[in-house]
Amino acid sequence: MPVVTMTVNGEARSAEVEGRTLLVEFLRNHLGLTGTHVGCDTTQCGCCTVHVNGVAIKSCTALAVALDGAAVTTIEGLAQNGKLHPMQEAFREHHALQCGFCTPGMIMSAIDMVRRNGHALDERTVRKQLEGNICRCTGYHNIVTAVQAGAAAMKGQ
Amino acid sequence: MSHAASGEGIGQPIRRREDMRLITGKGQFSDDMNLPGQTYAVFLRAPHAHARIGAIDTAAALKMPGVLAVLTGKDLLADGLKPIPHTPLLAHPAEIIPENTDGTPVFTAPHYPLATDKVRFVGEAVAIVVATSIAAAKDGAEAIAIDYEPLPAVTDTVAAAAPDAPQLWDQHSNVALDARLGDAAATAAAFKRAAHVVKFKTWVQRITGVPMEPRAALSEYDPQTKRYMLHAGSGGAVRLKNDLATVLGVPSDDVRVLMYDVGGNFGTRGMIYPEFAAVAWAARRVGKPVKWLCERHEAFLCDYQGRDLAVEAELALDRDGTFLAMRGSNIGNAGAHTTNFSPLQKGVEIASSIYRMPAADFRARAVLSNTAPTRPYRSAGRPEVMYVMERLIDLACRDFGFDRVEIRRRNLIAPSELPYTNPFGMTYDSGHYREVMDRALKEGDWDGFPARRAEARARGKYRGIAVANYVDTATGQPRERTDITIRRDGVIDVVIGTVSNGQGHETTFAQCINEWFAVPVDKVNIITHDTDIVKVGGGTHSGRGMRLASYVMKIASDEIVEKGKRIAAHLLQAKPAEIDFTDGHFRVTGSNRSVGLFEVAAAALDQSDLPGELRGPLTATCDKVVKEAAFPYGAHVCEVEIDPVMGNVEIVKYTTVDDVGRAVNPMIIHGQTHGGIAQGVGQALLEHCAYNAADGQLMSGSFMDYAMPRADDFPFFDTFISEVPMPSHPLGIRPAGEGGTCPALAVTVNAIVDALADLGVRHVEMPATPERIWRAINGKKDVSIAKAEG
Ligand code: FES
Ligand code: FES
Repeated sequence: MPVVTMTVNGEARSAEVEGRTLLVEFLRNHLGLTGTHVGCDTTQCGCCTVHVNGVAIKSCTALAVALDGAAVTTIEGLAQNGKLHPMQEAFREHHALQCGFCTPGMIMSAIDMVRRNGHALDERTVRKQLEGNICRCTGYHNIVTAVQAGAAAMKGQ
Repeated sequence: MSHAASGEGIGQPIRRREDMRLITGKGQFSDDMNLPGQTYAVFLRAPHAHARIGAIDTAAALKMPGVLAVLTGKDLLADGLKPIPHTPLLAHPAEIIPENTDGTPVFTAPHYPLATDKVRFVGEAVAIVVATSIAAAKDGAEAIAIDYEPLPAVTDTVAAAAPDAPQLWDQHSNVALDARLGDAAATAAAFKRAAHVVKFKTWVQRITGVPMEPRAALSEYDPQTKRYMLHAGSGGAVRLKNDLATVLGVPSDDVRVLMYDVGGNFGTRGMIYPEFAAVAWAARRVGKPVKWLCERHEAFLCDYQGRDLAVEAELALDRDGTFLAMRGSNIGNAGAHTTNFSPLQKGVEIASSIYRMPAADFRARAVLSNTAPTRPYRSAGRPEVMYVMERLIDLACRDFGFDRVEIRRRNLIAPSELPYTNPFGMTYDSGHYREVMDRALKEGDWDGFPARRAEARARGKYRGIAVANYVDTATGQPRERTDITIRRDGVIDVVIGTVSNGQGHETTFAQCINEWFAVPVDKVNIITHDTDIVKVGGGTHSGRGMRLASYVMKIASDEIVEKGKRIAAHLLQAKPAEIDFTDGHFRVTGSNRSVGLFEVAAAALDQSDLPGELRGPLTATCDKVVKEAAFPYGAHVCEVEIDPVMGNVEIVKYTTVDDVGRAVNPMIIHGQTHGGIAQGVGQALLEHCAYNAADGQLMSGSFMDYAMPRADDFPFFDTFISEVPMPSHPLGIRPAGEGGTCPALAVTVNAIVDALADLGVRHVEMPATPERIWRAINGKKDVSIAKAEG
């Protein structure tokens, strides 16, 4: 079986995987990083969103072997030196989660949205660009608020 | 810290304690659990909607690499497993229990974890394969050969009730329950003298809960202790434990259920699933832990589903718009098993909503069909009947020229008429119905609407507005228990039989404890996850989480304070009557002598000079059956804009006023309302579990085909809380979890029809998709309505 090595949350991590092993399986089953969730089997819910080389992708739709050498950030790697990422902080402050299952994917997507669009996100942009992330609990109201607030707070970073 | 300074008590919008782990990826959901040496289960599912099971050949499957066991319904019967103990009707003391008109008992069918004689819906589990990996188990499942004898199937609600419909169970017709509620003679008389009668026929389509966390289960059997452990998310740990023990045929103490974070429930995850029992049984059979993860396509096939009610209703009014009576027929589609009829039951008993209705006569039927079994889904039964009532009112306004607000004001029950017994026999206790509706109209700027409509029309858009009222009856499992212990280390343990599925109980229950004991919220330990600790409790459903938890926690807390006063009296050499308890301290009135709560707890443990009955842990238990139902109510105003060319609906404004009696954490309540609205609007505009009527195949088996509400389907909502305390609750609390959904179907569809009224559109069935709206505008026949109307 092939061995893949990635830099995951800043640390070099290797594991022997099958050719068919998905990135999300590598993270959850091989590395024990269970903060990245699986909510569907058709690449639609976004619960599995992580950053690969700084860009958000759905880890349920990428093969681990194809990402040998990549730098991956998961929800576990966002907080730095015990300090929450501003987007995490914004989700908590604005009650943007209920069951919390969609949350890691939402936060990872939101941070990437800021990378793509800058810090002044209008409501419409946020709603449109959350297309790939489904939440059943919150009606999105507080998620949209949190993404806007988190985006603004990231400016000072 | 004094209580006042902490600002964490009842009424404070404090941030949630559970969030820290959930935003850092440290939640513990079912699939996050693993055990050394675990094996993996996969279920082989029925490809037919209805078929007799012939020979099953498992030999080839057993030879596949890695396969450890292949078990079928036959093995399950040989091992003495029992059917799932469904109780289709709610026996809560406040509920109306429908009975068969012909006096026969209500039919309940045996629901085994694996099909034994026939398969009755596509996706029903037929065999479980256990292997060393998921892939090996899948390969094993593919190698099983089954002889099916396909039978004619029926999925449509009305069709399933017909006498010549394909029959699911040999021992009974598809109509499992056929009841009549109300007063037929009085209703007929009222209709005779009515100036106006309006009729409405509809189908509240089937949808499904879609908690974002798919189901998962991990089970282990210990042959030494003969105990089963099941780790699986559900609506309640104790019920899951008891039901699992029943199916396995073992004493309930031989089962331990664990659940930590649960990724959504909404009712459809509310009780045991066949797969949970099969996984536990398989763990015993293979002698290793067995793990199962439900894939999303399986969730669409065989998660319990919701709604699915076929309705014909009529409303009689006098000349000035006063309601005289209503009558009709509700048929609830139970699916393939007699799992739960409470949506039918809970709907029909409040079909007249909070309007004065002198008489009513309704037939209520539960029918079996070749579809996934249904259960309560977000406010079971109430959104359906609120939709019917509010549609009837708007249709009456349109046909007979009444004003939509005036007619509601005229017929809403006034506070002076409460308590009010509705024509089905339900008694509403309290509420300021008109006041709440008027506030919603004001906040939703009802009066400013004509200008907004004109402005939209100038842009080529059709704008509509509607208001809908609702009442919700919260009952559910009436018994709840708590054990509260004051620990010497400054922590309070609260053991309770509810489970949070996202409602934030760790925060809100702790806020109650903070209110009474002035202990920081972070020092309150809410324990719900392990049935070896939690022995009694009804779980989280029917608005019972906070309502019943606060009820029993208050009683137990008062008992602790009383006990604490007697201990403090000893310590401070005073009489118990001289002791006050404030800000976490017992004080001798009029002196500066005092002792803290935790010092008292420590003294009770350490001091041998205390009277015997005061020695030991400072603890109290409250185990109570709460007989009263609760009645949250409120009003929503929805404003939509429709593109007449494309048929797209945009919700431009959505305003709510929900009476929650007393808001423990307003931030969380607003969040519950937001989510509830989205689930209601989702039904009105998007969602549908679609079955092919010809062969019973599910056509909405993934997120590609099942339209989930997404962020760009909504505006920001304007949600307001009303607090008229509920008299029968010690804190005045009404549940807040279901108000968002209750009137959302009604108010959304009524707004759409209002928008399109000028184009001659009288009704649009749910989900009001762009295609349906386009067809309605263009006078084309709606194929789906034609089907629903049979
Ligand atoms: S798990 Fe749903 S998109 Fe990846
Ligand atoms: S918070 Fe539960 S799915 Fe988003």
